[in-house]
Amino acid sequence: MSNLLEVRDLSKRFTSAGGPFRKARSMHAVNGVTFDLPKGRVIGVVGESGCGKSTLARLILRLIEPSGGGVNFDGDDLLAKTPGQMRKLRARMQMVFQDPYSAIDPRYTLTRAVAEPFEVQGVTPAKPMAEEVADLLEMVGLNPGLATSYPHQISGGQKQRVGIARALALRPSLLVLDEPTASLDVSVQAQIIGLLEDLRAELGLTYLFISHDLSLVKYFCDEILVMYLGRVVEALPDTSAPARHPYTRTLMESTFEPDPKKRRLIAPLEGEVPSPFDLPPGCAFADRCPKASALCRSETPELSADNGHAVACHHPI
Amino acid sequence: MAVRSLDAFARMSIGRAFSSGVGLVAGGFLVLLVLVALLAPWIAPFDYAAQNLMNANAAPAWPHLLGTDEFGRDVLSRVIHGARTSLSVSATAIAISMTAGMALGAAAGYFGGFFERAVMTVVDLTWSFPDILIALIFVAIIGPGLTSTTFAIAIAYLAQFTRLTRAQIVRLKRETFIEATINLGAKPTHILLRHLMPNAIAPVIVVGMLAIGDGIVLEATLGFFGLGAQPPTPSWGAMMSSGTAQLFLSPWVIIFPGVAVAVTVIAVNLFGDELIRALDIRDRLRGA
Repeated sequence: MSNLLEVRDLSKRFTSAGGPFRKARSMHAVNGVTFDLPKGRVIGVVGESGCGKSTLARLILRLIEPSGGGVNFDGDDLLAKTPGQMRKLRARMQMVFQDPYSAIDPRYTLTRAVAEPFEVQGVTPAKPMAEEVADLLEMVGLNPGLATSYPHQISGGQKQRVGIARALALRPSLLVLDEPTASLDVSVQAQIIGLLEDLRAELGLTYLFISHDLSLVKYFCDEILVMYLGRVVEALPDTSAPARHPYTRTLMESTFEPDPKKRRLIAPLEGEVPSPFDLPPGCAFADRCPKASALCRSETPELSADNGHAVACHHPI
Repeated sequence: MAVRSLDAFARMSIGRAFSSGVGLVAGGFLVLLVLVALLAPWIAPFDYAAQNLMNANAAPAWPHLLGTDEFGRDVLSRVIHGARTSLSVSATAIAISMTAGMALGAAAGYFGGFFERAVMTVVDLTWSFPDILIALIFVAIIGPGLTSTTFAIAIAYLAQFTRLTRAQIVRLKRETFIEATINLGAKPTHILLRHLMPNAIAPVIVVGMLAIGDGIVLEATLGFFGLGAQPPTPSWGAMMSSGTAQLFLSPWVIIFPGVAVAVTVIAVNLFGDELIRALDIRDRLRGA
């Protein structure tokens, strides 16, 4: 199976300019992320808010310029593309956004919103536009009768479906899902996840699924990347693999169990996430880690693989 | 499709602005005023420039309903023609100012960086000059008259439109739908013209509407000082200026153009407030 997406040592450093009354500061939002996404697979990226997941998604789609590293999409080196070439390529790599409430222009009817991808790319659909729009709405489970509605007239779940229809209009091969259900009710979440599963099977899509919800990622994805403060700390080759990094372990133990007989006391993580502007030397997780040693506080552990299961920890479980 | 939905939106909002009592009275007056200005030559009972020194400074009475000035010219006819001058100068100036301000503000807000700082510095500089001084500069360059007045008013309000548009664009640029559209492969022109501007335009138009009222006052001020319309062209400000000489002898010469300015400006402001309410954009007018 060939890789649709190859991400190599991708990094983003944000800097704020200094002035007479403040120091220049910089933070590594994403630090040396490397992974392969084979065609047809679903990789989940999981981590606390602020760990750089959303920045990673935008770096991969080159919505923000990386400070270092590379992205190879279906054989194309994205960072070598001119803005014009990049705009053409975007048709094949789409994104579903976290906030469906502001993801559609409030002055656009659903028809106009769903037809916009064709307009922007200068593509004439095979069928008449009205039919194409109706088909797309139907594909994401919306009544084509809603075509003349405005975004404020439909619900959050319906808006997210419109977002998905827009993303799929040009038949992309890669879909980056940036917490597509985080701002929706739980019942609506399930519908959207179901829809995404159906669409993947139907259209042969490849997903990069970003979420803070580990149980959702375990359900939805084939592989899981766990991020902590901009770094991938563990790459689980499948969802049943036991956690080897203490951070992943804590994340897994803090998900709720629906079966009351299996419920156990959830041990909360000690301490605070360190400020990304002022990272301690060594492992960023050391201050919150029960297994931390002197080595952890002086040397940053590298991601090293063992049987396809990579972990960045001096004392893996 | 796009144009139709925009039209429907605008029609709905204007309809709502007229729906309150205040909005109906103020808006009705403004519609009437525009009609009067447009039809001035047919409505005015006398030639605004026709002098009759035998009947100078006549008190309001038939057939000169608002009296006559020191040259015996009919004050009513001059107020009616003055509406034409005041409205057209103010509206033209604000239209120029609004167009330039929207273009500058949108470009500054969209591109940011050095370009934004350069534009905003220059625009803010124009704000630091008193309006009268700007008018004097134009009078010095192209001589007194309505052209100078128009440009002076246009420059006086440029900063306001530029700052407001820029603030809207900067706020809208962060919305998810902009990022989503960029991710569809849209060009900057598409983002600016199809998404940013249509969403930014409502508050700018309302401020433009209100600025027409201020422009009328500024036009009257410049006319009062003799920097605006030159005789015999009637302008409310110039009429008041000539009226000061006979303030006690024939007060109607200064009172009626003054009332015209006051009522028009009040109507513009009241209707503008109703528009702000109808469009529900009060919070968007702050911070610009």
